[in-house]
Amino acid sequence: MGQVILKSVQKKFGDLEVIPNLSLIIPKGSFTVLVGPSGCGKSTILRLIAGLEDATGGEIIIDDIDVTHLEPSKRKIAMVFQSYALYPHMTVAENIGFGLTLAKVSKKDIQKRVSEVAKILQLEKLLQRKPKQLSGGQRQRVAIGRAITRNPKVFLFDEPLSNLDASLRGQMRVELTELHAQIKATMVYVTHDQVEAMTMADQIVVLNQGVIEQVGTPMDLYDFPDSLFVARFIGSPKMNIMEGEIAEKYFCQKLGVRPEHMEISKEEGLLNGSIRHIEKLGADTLVYSEIKGYDTITARVVGNLEMKIGDTIHLRFDKKHVHRFSNGNRLNTQF
Amino acid sequence: MALPACLLVFTFLILPFFMAFGLSLTNQRLVSPNPTEFVGLDNFKKMLGVSFLIIEPEMDEAGHIKLDNEGNPIYPRVRNFTRNQEDFPQFYKKREWFQLGLQDGKVLVVLSQDVVFLKALANTMLFALVVCPVQAGLALFLALLINQPLRGINIFRTIYFAPVVISMVVVSMLWRFIYDGQNGLLNTLMQMFSFGLFEPIDWLGNTSTALPAIMAMSVWQGVGFHMVIWLSGLQTIPLSHYEVARIEGATRWQTFRYVTWPSLRNTAILVMVIITMQAFTLYPQIQVMTRGGPLDSTQSLVFQAVIRGYEKQDISGGSAISVILFLLVLSISLFQRYLTREKN
Amino acid sequence: MPAHKLLGMALRYLLLIWIAMIFIFPIVFMVISSLKPDLQLLSDSSSLRAFLPVGDISPTNYLSAFDRAPILLFIFNSVLITGITIVFSLFLCSLAAFSFVFLSWRGQGVIFAIILATFIVPFETIAVPLLLIVNNLPWIGLEGIKNSWINSYHVQIIPFIADALTIFLFVQYFRDLPKDLIEASRIDGATWFQVYRRVIMPLSGPIIATAAILKFLMMYNNQLLWPIMVVQEESYRPVMLGLQYFFQLNTQWGEIMAYLTIITIPVLIFYLLLQKAFIASIASTGIKG
Ligand SMILES: Nc1ncnc2c1ncn2[C@@H]1O[C@H](COP(=O)(O)OP(=O)(O)OP(=O)(O)O)[C@@H](O)[C@H]1O
Ligand SMILES: [Mg+2]
Repeated sequence: MGQVILKSVQKKFGDLEVIPNLSLIIPKGSFTVLVGPSGCGKSTILRLIAGLEDATGGEIIIDDIDVTHLEPSKRKIAMVFQSYALYPHMTVAENIGFGLTLAKVSKKDIQKRVSEVAKILQLEKLLQRKPKQLSGGQRQRVAIGRAITRNPKVFLFDEPLSNLDASLRGQMRVELTELHAQIKATMVYVTHDQVEAMTMADQIVVLNQGVIEQVGTPMDLYDFPDSLFVARFIGSPKMNIMEGEIAEKYFCQKLGVRPEHMEISKEEGLLNGSIRHIEKLGADTLVYSEIKGYDTITARVVGNLEMKIGDTIHLRFDKKHVHRFSNGNRLNTQF
Repeated sequence: MALPACLLVFTFLILPFFMAFGLSLTNQRLVSPNPTEFVGLDNFKKMLGVSFLIIEPEMDEAGHIKLDNEGNPIYPRVRNFTRNQEDFPQFYKKREWFQLGLQDGKVLVVLSQDVVFLKALANTMLFALVVCPVQAGLALFLALLINQPLRGINIFRTIYFAPVVISMVVVSMLWRFIYDGQNGLLNTLMQMFSFGLFEPIDWLGNTSTALPAIMAMSVWQGVGFHMVIWLSGLQTIPLSHYEVARIEGATRWQTFRYVTWPSLRNTAILVMVIITMQAFTLYPQIQVMTRGGPLDSTQSLVFQAVIRGYEKQDISGGSAISVILFLLVLSISLFQRYLTREKN
Repeated sequence: MPAHKLLGMALRYLLLIWIAMIFIFPIVFMVISSLKPDLQLLSDSSSLRAFLPVGDISPTNYLSAFDRAPILLFIFNSVLITGITIVFSLFLCSLAAFSFVFLSWRGQGVIFAIILATFIVPFETIAVPLLLIVNNLPWIGLEGIKNSWINSYHVQIIPFIADALTIFLFVQYFRDLPKDLIEASRIDGATWFQVYRRVIMPLSGPIIATAAILKFLMMYNNQLLWPIMVVQEESYRPVMLGLQYFFQLNTQWGEIMAYLTIITIPVLIFYLLLQKAFIASIASTGIKG
């Protein structure tokens, strides 16, 4: 349950065209992540699906029902906000049950549902507290609890973890993935965070200025970026992009090689220069080198590295790991 | 959802506002046997129109100026001009507002059909002109005083603000005692502090002291209000600004001049506008204390608007005063707009 | 503490106390005088005895003040008029502000601008035409249909319910509330009125207090000009009009002082109890700048 279809959806704020024309299918039960640079329209798409913004054109269909002109509460969706948006004057239980209270569900049934939800999210002991008396992670769980209560077909998350510290974020990532497995609803998730996108999604949508650059599984996007934009956007550290002589050798305008596919070689080759900076991450090491004729090139090597800044370095790569681009698009033909 | 409130605003604020404009162009009375007529700007002409009459001292046959017993020149009576419709139609039925001595013993007499209104206008402007700076200045002084980190300072803040919550009607009644000519507290205190040298004054019964007395009382009542607004402006200034000034060795005056005052600019404009608006609507003090007297020396625009529009049932006259009052207030607030826009 | 600092401190307190006396002496005089018979009141006021409860102290003035005027009725009227106005004002103005901030409808901007503009129209300038309006408005009440609002409670209430300042204060406050909260409740299925009642109002405690206090000061203390114009019958008079009674026939200053005390002291006590809120509400009018 919970297939979402956007058909030629457009959105303007006055004269500002935020979404020119966007079509997208979000399969039922999927965990779809929207990523893209700040201001590209991720939140806007989420809010269009939620019904918090009216589309300027196009259709939005949830489970075969055209919801384009329906009230948010009639769309069978739930939304979790970055700020949590908990009602400060209500207890946790009241927050979670508010939607049911409004729907005039009997007190007993509300209580039952609230305690079910509280159990899923381990909130049982906090039900009588006010949001002010909760930690960030607990508030986040209450916000998710409020979403679950409504039994929605589609969950919408707008950067839900960005206010949490790193370790809590890791924990919540796992919890959310488990929750998805447990309730099997469709989830649409907006994030800035690469790691969240790669680890949680079964479908990633990359957006650029309101236009979809690519849709696919995380590994698809990583291994076969359709465009230079996606190639640069997915992966950390970024893919090395080289122009000029070396690109011409591969019959393209721009040649991309991921840092982990760069190798340090003993003898001089195409890429020669000196080490500018070294970052030791423990399991592996990032080497930033000043290569003659090119910009800084990043290489990721496994384990430790017995070299220091200023040392001469030669880099090479296997031709089966290259990504070739012309006019910003991927070239898939063999050469 | 905004409908009920908007409806109320429109019926009881905006409609009467436009009615005031409309009525001021007619001769409507509350109850009148004659139908209401449109009279154009007649009301305003009557109220604002002044004419100037220059009179010269009377001469005897020899061409010398006639002097009275005290040696002052004798002037023809103004009445001769205003009662004489045939020779001086332009002065007919007008009254003297004030006189100005010119050179060569000539005297300029300013005549008007509606002296009371002009006095009310002048008094209201004078009231605003004096009360605004004095009240704003004193309020700032009190705010600076209260803004010190002293123990128990909040008690003083509470006391200074107390008159604000008391009705102006009550305050005016009380101050009638204080200003009383015989047993007034003010006279008592003045005599005590001057060791009996001070001659008791009937503060409200004297044309020269009545308006100043009302001004002083108004400042007393309202200064706490503006002190609080200044105070909230002062408290938005970060402590670090003062600390920087101290490290750089600024004197207390320099700190005020270069740190405090510039941050208070917007507060200053706000305070001035509120005081001006309050000053222009001077009413309860007059109603309770003097009813415009003595000799019209404390007439105010609002008081006149009420007297005419209500007590004399001259709706159009009262409305015309309202319109003039509104135009005054409007120009003040446009001036404020202009001031705030200039420097941003 | 060094001597010169101590001296400076003492001087500052001296100044503060001296100014405090200026603000307090009329109030003390009022209360003290209300307890003295007229003869003593007048003779005392030529010395500092005016501020001291000495001589013939008794509540006689209060008793005769109650005989002279139906004080309880006036107080009841004032409280009733002020109270009802505050309740309706808070409700309708916050509702209007809610719709200006959270809903979008055609003409919203223009109407809000017009309402704000009325802020610079002093009530005094519209009193006379307003009199004409209420004089010709019909009213259906318990006693049947009347063709004028003159001499009633509602003529003293309804025109004052909606005002620009109250609407503006609410608008300011609502604009600062997180928009997410409203959106969350929309998704939870709340109607706009439910959003208003169950989410916005419970969060608006501070501004409700502010608006109520300002309205209270505007109403209770200013019931003079308008009641003079529209109320001739004793039974609808507010306290400020009650003063007239004390100037008919042999004026007794002690009684006047008693009456002033009666109508002022409750406000002062109220103020002392809630002084933080009072001062904060005045300060909040300053945010406009
Ligand atoms: N209510 C609005 N009125 C006008 N413009 C808006 C409005 N909401 C969003 N925009 C504009 O639409 C564009 C997309 O905004 P959106 O919030 O969808 O970006 P985003 O991808 O969520 O960015 P971020 O990652 O920073 O949250 C931005 O340029 C923003 O300025
Ligand atoms: Mg966003």
